[in-house]
Amino acid sequence: MHYGGSMIDCDIAIVGAGLAGMRAAVAIAEKNSKVSVAIIAKTYPIRCHSVCAEGGSAAVLRKEDSFDLHAWDTVKGSDFLADQDAVEFFVRECPKEILRLENWGCPWSRNPDGTIAQRAFGGHSVNRTVFAADRTGFHEVHTLYERLLKYDNVEFFSEYFLTNLAIEDNRIQGLSAIELKTGNLVFFKAKAVILATGGAGRLYGFTTYSHQVTGDGMAIAYRCGVPLKDMEFMQFHPTGLVPSGILMTEACRGEGGYLRNKFGERFMQKYAPEKMELAPRDVVARAMWKEIIEGRAFEGEHGPYLALDLTHLGEEKIEQRLPMIREAAIKFLDIDPVEEPLPVKPVQHYTMGGIHTNMFTETPVKGLFAAGECACVSIHGANRLGSNSTVECLVFGRVAGEMALKYIENVKDVKINQEFLKEEEERIFDKIGKGNENPHTIKRELNETMDKHLWIFRNGDGLKEAIRKIEELKERYSQASIADDCRKFNVALLSTLEVGYMLDLAEVVAMGALLRTESRGAHYRLDYPERNDKQWLVHTLAYYTREGPRFEYLPVTITKWKPVERKY
Amino acid sequence: MGVMSWFKYKSPFGLAFAFQRITGIILLFYLILHLCYLTSLQSRELYETLTSITVSRQFIIFDSLLILCGVFHGVNGIRIIIHELGIGHELRRVVLAVSAIIAILGWIIGSYILFMALGD
Amino acid sequence: MKFVIRRFKDDKSFWQSFEVPVKKGMTLLDGLFYIRENIDPSLAFRASCRMGICGSCAVKVNGRPRLACEAQLSKFKKEIKIEPLDNFRVIRDLVTEFEGFFAKHKKVKPYLIANTDYENPIEQLQTPEELKKYYIFTLCIKCGSCLSVCPSSATLESSLGPAALVSAYRFNADSRDRGKEERLKIVSESFGVWRCHSAMECSEVCPKQIEPAKAIQLLRRETLR
Repeated sequence: MHYGGSMIDCDIAIVGAGLAGMRAAVAIAEKNSKVSVAIIAKTYPIRCHSVCAEGGSAAVLRKEDSFDLHAWDTVKGSDFLADQDAVEFFVRECPKEILRLENWGCPWSRNPDGTIAQRAFGGHSVNRTVFAADRTGFHEVHTLYERLLKYDNVEFFSEYFLTNLAIEDNRIQGLSAIELKTGNLVFFKAKAVILATGGAGRLYGFTTYSHQVTGDGMAIAYRCGVPLKDMEFMQFHPTGLVPSGILMTEACRGEGGYLRNKFGERFMQKYAPEKMELAPRDVVARAMWKEIIEGRAFEGEHGPYLALDLTHLGEEKIEQRLPMIREAAIKFLDIDPVEEPLPVKPVQHYTMGGIHTNMFTETPVKGLFAAGECACVSIHGANRLGSNSTVECLVFGRVAGEMALKYIENVKDVKINQEFLKEEEERIFDKIGKGNENPHTIKRELNETMDKHLWIFRNGDGLKEAIRKIEELKERYSQASIADDCRKFNVALLSTLEVGYMLDLAEVVAMGALLRTESRGAHYRLDYPERNDKQWLVHTLAYYTREGPRFEYLPVTITKWKPVERKY
Repeated sequence: MGVMSWFKYKSPFGLAFAFQRITGIILLFYLILHLCYLTSLQSRELYETLTSITVSRQFIIFDSLLILCGVFHGVNGIRIIIHELGIGHELRRVVLAVSAIIAILGWIIGSYILFMALGD
Repeated sequence: MKFVIRRFKDDKSFWQSFEVPVKKGMTLLDGLFYIRENIDPSLAFRASCRMGICGSCAVKVNGRPRLACEAQLSKFKKEIKIEPLDNFRVIRDLVTEFEGFFAKHKKVKPYLIANTDYENPIEQLQTPEELKKYYIFTLCIKCGSCLSVCPSSATLESSLGPAALVSAYRFNADSRDRGKEERLKIVSESFGVWRCHSAMECSEVCPKQIEPAKAIQLLRRETLR
């Protein structure tokens, strides 16, 4: 214990302080004020990636809408890979979550009569996306964080970096994390653990994600034997600002924006004549990428791009409903969307896949729950509809919290094995980082590989090449270096560990994509361009083995809607 | 004494803040001096000694600086009162500029009157 | 472009210079990442969203606090001086201690105090005019820039500081809130609104142009009623 490892006792540990993690904590604290909750996160709660969410949260609030319609939109949007029982449960919980946030102070944008406003969004047949200007995620996160300050039994452990889960006899015992401030390894003894660590966007180079989203929770769960589901489905959002990748929310199109190619035509006419720019994201992204490949895009110093035209909306509408994207465009590109169209390109945006859970956020390990983007229930199937993710975090965050609370009623005592403590210390401080390969170079090459071969259009040869390259990078990673000897806030150690997580996840994504010989939702194979419901109406499950992921397949749960052709 | 820390803030607002305090101290100092002056009225010789030193060509520069301190402290004080009523925050740079102009004008006029008065 | 950074390691503070190649559209944060990825992997700084919404990357640039992700390198001359924020204890290089900042925020009860039902929530109405009254004060990203330039907070550690007071006002001005009295009691203590002497520095540096000084004055008027 020469690094000063200490042990912290708590009833429930939540890893990740984004929407799902904080909602789980509120759910627990509301039901029971005696249970001690530890929220462990690698940044302060309000610096999480959830603050970047812009467009809104979908919910059935008005008489003109119906749960069946929201569910149908979601199932069709998922290209029929979503588990329909989970979707039916999900849509019925959304309205209450929106109203709860409103009750806790969230500044939802309003109609003139004072009711909560809703706007149009891609793939939804009714205007049901609730929004707070175009900073919905930001406001939701701050509302949840501020609400959490009310409860005495919730404690924040901010800037603690998860390194491992302690599991024994298929039961969770706790976890280990590095306290960034001191650099010490800290162990948390917990009767239940909820993972809410977010997606894996930084696998890619051109992505909307924050720098810190490296799939930590997913990779660690995977290494501990929990299967990952549907990892090959990565969502590409149509409008990412070129070159930074900053998200230009779907609401731009929801409020009436147009997409134009270099000839000024609204090219979506060719691909989705009915919904046009408001077709689901995978349809629009493929349309845009096709325009780019076939040479109908503008050429710029950062590569090809298409135009997002908001000039016809007028300054007042933009200031009221899309203020942040206007600010971002002016600040980062010196372009005012009121006057000129914005340069955009499809950008990696969401991880549909994640830790395999059932409808109650339970994983195969007893006491381990997962919610939010890091989990895959699956609600989003092969493609997520916009504004379904923020509300999914809220709904399943609550479920995870309540399930964890119920679970610990029957748990008497947990104990972390001495062996685990010693091995973890050795692994982190003595074994990793003894070579001299710059981990950032490995990350950059990983990003390039993913951007090239695991992008919107994939084919067998490209995927095989990607797998080969990832294997090579994993070899080189074993010789990675940590160029910092001071323990306090050692960012080099952090970067190196993160690259390791990303490499494991990249392997699962690439191999899953190669094995799935069909096109569905966001996964499009040029060599298998048709959807194959006979063989592939299943979820991909990836289990960790030393030699690489082992794959199994799980049938999709169908209740009401049989798969039909997906046309918009 | 922590006074130097007031000058860490190099924007015009920071400097205004720092000088408000410094001129405040100077004016306080002057006030004490002035009271001593007035209590000296008890004796004619003491009064004449003091006036012969302080009411002279060499001292006028200090008087002028004193006027600057007083005018600045007063005008800046009014500027702060305006802002503390919740008014003019969007135009704070304009208000600061206008205050600066008023203060400088006040100083010039005051010093001019002082010069003229001494000339007799 | 030369980045001159004030670093801090093992209780020792020292300056270090780095040469960073500049491309069009590059931000200060891009420059810091370039240094970490290619020159010195031990350079510690906070960063996350790179789009000015998370508030992690506030640092002092040429003497003034800025969000690193919003500072365009093309607007600077050949040399840039980068230091950690003032009025915060430095942990490592550009990373400062924020626990105290969040504790101050927590002190003012920055949550909606109202009689609501958790199990069966009901929509509370709020007109767009009522929303506009407090909306701008909800935009605070808790970056710490205001606290780092507040002279009152510099001289007295226990001052609540601009960000916490803005939060207090944001909830007092929310038409749905019923906790005004509680909050006013807290902020009218000696370390609250009365520590403000209108230096206006906070309004000058706020990256979201919230004008904390205005919020504090409005809050102050409420305490007098």
